[in-house]
Amino acid sequence: MLTARASAARNVQRIARNYATVVDSAGVRVASIDHGQPTSTVTVFVKAGSRFQPAAGVAHALKNFAFKSTAKRSALGTVRESELYGGQLSATLGREYLALTAEFLRGDEDVFVDILGSFIKSAKFTRHEYEEYVQPIISQEVEAAASDPTTRAIEIAHSLAFRSGLGSPLLAPAHHSITAEHVKSFAETAFTKGSVAVLGAGIESSILAKLTEKSFALKSSSVLTSAASKYYGGESRAENFTGPQTLFVGFGATGAHSPDIATLAAHLSPTPSIKWSKGLSAIGTSIPQDSSVQAVYLPYSDASLVGLLIQGATTAAVKEAGKAAVQALQGAASGIKEEDFKRAVAKAKFNAAQAIDTEYGIITALGTQIFGGPETSLEATLASLNSITASSVSKAASTLLKGKPTFVAVGAIDSLPYADELGL
Amino acid sequence: MVFGSLGPSLAPYLKSSRTIYGWIKPIANWYAKASGYQKYGFKYDDLLIEERDDVQRALTRLTPREKYDRAFRLKRASQASVLHTPLSQKEWTKREEDVRYLKPHVVDVSNENAERKKWDTLVLERK
Repeated sequence: MLTARASAARNVQRIARNYATVVDSAGVRVASIDHGQPTSTVTVFVKAGSRFQPAAGVAHALKNFAFKSTAKRSALGTVRESELYGGQLSATLGREYLALTAEFLRGDEDVFVDILGSFIKSAKFTRHEYEEYVQPIISQEVEAAASDPTTRAIEIAHSLAFRSGLGSPLLAPAHHSITAEHVKSFAETAFTKGSVAVLGAGIESSILAKLTEKSFALKSSSVLTSAASKYYGGESRAENFTGPQTLFVGFGATGAHSPDIATLAAHLSPTPSIKWSKGLSAIGTSIPQDSSVQAVYLPYSDASLVGLLIQGATTAAVKEAGKAAVQALQGAASGIKEEDFKRAVAKAKFNAAQAIDTEYGIITALGTQIFGGPETSLEATLASLNSITASSVSKAASTLLKGKPTFVAVGAIDSLPYADELGL
Repeated sequence: MVFGSLGPSLAPYLKSSRTIYGWIKPIANWYAKASGYQKYGFKYDDLLIEERDDVQRALTRLTPREKYDRAFRLKRASQASVLHTPLSQKEWTKREEDVRYLKPHVVDVSNENAERKKWDTLVLERK
């Protein structure tokens, strides 16, 4: 077992070293990792998340506009061509980044990099495509999110915690007046040399750089900026008729990713390591049967939101679980037992390592690193987790608790508890 | 619909030559005027055969303003037809107003249909 561990550690170091290969190709930054996988993934990472949008929902519309007609191919052509090659195209929107991804078999990279490049360089953003294809999908996604208490709670929590910037909504409002013109002008400001990075997994760096140079000749080099994040906090309640009763209790911190907060989130997390068991965490053992608590840790480039998502079938169960969760949070602030601390560090390390285990994880890590986000090489993360102590974690917790909490209740708001009823 | 207003046209060829265009244009203007639709406030694209899938789809792509104006012209002309008299001269369509607002959309739609057909009947060759 020890030898297995040692070799795993060596592998980790090799992966970590691969991170540094960022090349500049015609002004666009390119990075890639190749472990010899049978499939390749190429992602265009654009600094065009909801944080940078000029009006609510424009980034969401841009995400749904991905792979529509360009100067080179029509929307239908893009779909049929990628089907012929057996590839998959997808677009993912985050609060800071928009990711356009193509997954395909090795050897087809010239076609798929060209598909990605032609969208970035020459998308048409036609009005009829917006009305015929984009708009219906936006409404569907908005509708689906509106009845999902978890999404609503996290969305409201962000707007309370950060107001503008990171707090601006990820999804378009239910009634909006976004037009194809808005999307087009946002894309023009976002698709620039400085804001676009091309990331690959399972593709040689030199090949990707060459193809990028061919397909991504972007002119402008201006970069979208957003004011530095500031944490506010507050309380909000929203009526919801489907799904479990939901509470979110969170705190925000500004500044780059902190290992203390990551460990605090791991310490609070009641997710058991063995299925069907309750685990040993303070929260897991004291919440009612029909409720659940999840630790939420969302790090961004200059702020992070850490908290607990409490869900249950009834408002009474949620209230009891919420009290236990707040107690655990306050307990962490007053001191963490050495044994619990060690467990939390191990969990945080595992989470950090597992996050870059998938191709999506590798690419996200590479992308955030390129755009000057938190240091995401696994080596550095693990080293920073080694250097913290139980007292530094509880100090971080007490600093968080001194701030105003972000409290969101989604569900039957007539009987869900208020923040002060949970002891906040 | 081979010889209809959506069929093949010599216009692009004639327009490319300045001399021929200079000769033809006055005749074209005379013809447009003589055909009489301008007296009823129509634009030429209001006369396109509407009962076709591609034109129906093209009609959905007009801006709300264009849709409104088109409906207004059709109604006004129907009323004039009921009265058996053309509109008053100040309501006639002026030459510069008579633009092809619908045809580009019809062309787009038929190109899309042709492309779909191309992809649907594609024969793959293995290299």
